[in-house]
Amino acid sequence: MAKPVSTRQRSLGRSLLLTLPMLLWSMLMFSRALEQPGLAPKLAAVVTLAFVVALFHQMMRTTETNRWRRYFFTTLGFLFPIGFVWDLIALRGSMSIPMERMISGDTPFCFLAIPMMIVPAALTKTIIFPGSILPTASNPHAIAAMVGLWLVATLALGKGWCAYGCFFGGIEEGFASFAKKPRIKKLDPRWRWMPWAVLSAVVLLSAATLEPVYCAWLCPFKAVTEYPQVRSLETAAQAGIFLSLFVGLVVVLPWLTKKRTQCGFLCPFGAFQSIFSKTTAVDVRIDTARCVPCNLCESSCPTLSIDREAVKAGRPMISCMRCGACVDACPRDAAVWHIKGTEVGAAGERARLLHLYAAWAFAAMFGGSIIANTLSKLIGMVV
Amino acid sequence: MKRLTSILGHSGAIAALVVAVLGPFLLFGWFQKGIGAMGLKIHPSYSGGAVSRVVQRPGYRILVYERVGRTTPWQRVDPFVQASWAPVPALPASVSDEVDVDGDGKPDFRVAFKPAELSVDAVALNPRYHTMHSSGVTSFSALIARVNDAIVVRLPVE
Repeated sequence: MAKPVSTRQRSLGRSLLLTLPMLLWSMLMFSRALEQPGLAPKLAAVVTLAFVVALFHQMMRTTETNRWRRYFFTTLGFLFPIGFVWDLIALRGSMSIPMERMISGDTPFCFLAIPMMIVPAALTKTIIFPGSILPTASNPHAIAAMVGLWLVATLALGKGWCAYGCFFGGIEEGFASFAKKPRIKKLDPRWRWMPWAVLSAVVLLSAATLEPVYCAWLCPFKAVTEYPQVRSLETAAQAGIFLSLFVGLVVVLPWLTKKRTQCGFLCPFGAFQSIFSKTTAVDVRIDTARCVPCNLCESSCPTLSIDREAVKAGRPMISCMRCGACVDACPRDAAVWHIKGTEVGAAGERARLLHLYAAWAFAAMFGGSIIANTLSKLIGMVV
Repeated sequence: MKRLTSILGHSGAIAALVVAVLGPFLLFGWFQKGIGAMGLKIHPSYSGGAVSRVVQRPGYRILVYERVGRTTPWQRVDPFVQASWAPVPALPASVSDEVDVDGDGKPDFRVAFKPAELSVDAVALNPRYHTMHSSGVTSFSALIARVNDAIVVRLPVE
């Protein structure tokens, strides 16, 4: 990909100064880990802190966003399932969850269920998920805690959750980054409507059947987290679907296309989160006066949010997750960060900084703690 | 007007930063308490619903829950009533109890199980209900399972 002509490095002093608030924030976030007994949690916290702050510094120094974000996000994506499955094995010796555990409310809550819960919660005052509302000793990932976390992320980042918070997306980005060039370059643009269709279908079906249909039948990430114990033909079919979708949409297609195909073609939560693209103040715009167009933004976008129509309209589609790939790829500074209400291109770097401080503060706190927890377990094996 | 929209835009971006920073210290706790205070409950097809009465037996007790019916015609979980025997250590090696699930004072099921084996025979004493034999858990509406300190049995009803 062509290196943007506008890429300018900041001076070391200036970039260090801009990194200082994130260093202090990260030290605050990881200070609790330093109080834990044993060497492993302390070492993991220090390594994660250095990693998070070093990446942020590189964002400040190079003025590139996506490359450094992707390192963090992919690390999060690959370490999350390791730590999660580690805990499951320690807790009950298996990745599968038996129905007894569901009945006792021990299923860790996953944010992907949120869109499916809303209608039944409004109509029946019940949550259609076999977890617990408040944290318990056997289930710290309770519904109220996870929904609270999601609300904060949504208010601060909107759709940016998909680029800075969603560890599942990190797995896809990891597999997408294994290939140097995409082997499949042309994707039918109609696929990008699929997540909206899946969202509509699972919301309606979940309200009708009072069970989280996507979690029960379609979630590819069950393959690397937790799935119902196989005790019948139905649960065997579910396990088969989870595994097939994971291999197809999270491993093979991202590797072939260099896109986040699960997010782009299936994820109902991503579609739901797109609604909050409208509520955040920072977005990405395309200055049509500067644009050639060379289509580098279109080919760099991991979520199929830019096409020729979007370029003509001067803004990516609602599914844009603020990863910054298009801005970094644009050789003419036509794709820019933008604060709503201001002129396009007037304060691109200021917009990027405001977005990044919020996004990285959340990423360091949420994703950083996941990385540190898993690293602590891995380091604990050898130290 | 341009200046006003610019100020609003910048304010929104700064507000997002404030939310991200306040999140771990204040907002998570507030939101969690707010959601906890909404009075939402786990759907009874998972939780078994609310306890309707407690029957005391020598050394142990039986909790009989409210009937869990179909809220929508498309629900895949059949109607059931949950009953649980607790505490498990106090249960005899072989349990056999008559259970009144609808609260009319007459027994509806004779439930027999061995806590160590988790296999249950529930004979319907009321023609409105169905006799059930279940080993372990294969369905949310007809099962026997050990959940924490209780043996939970779900009896299929109409």
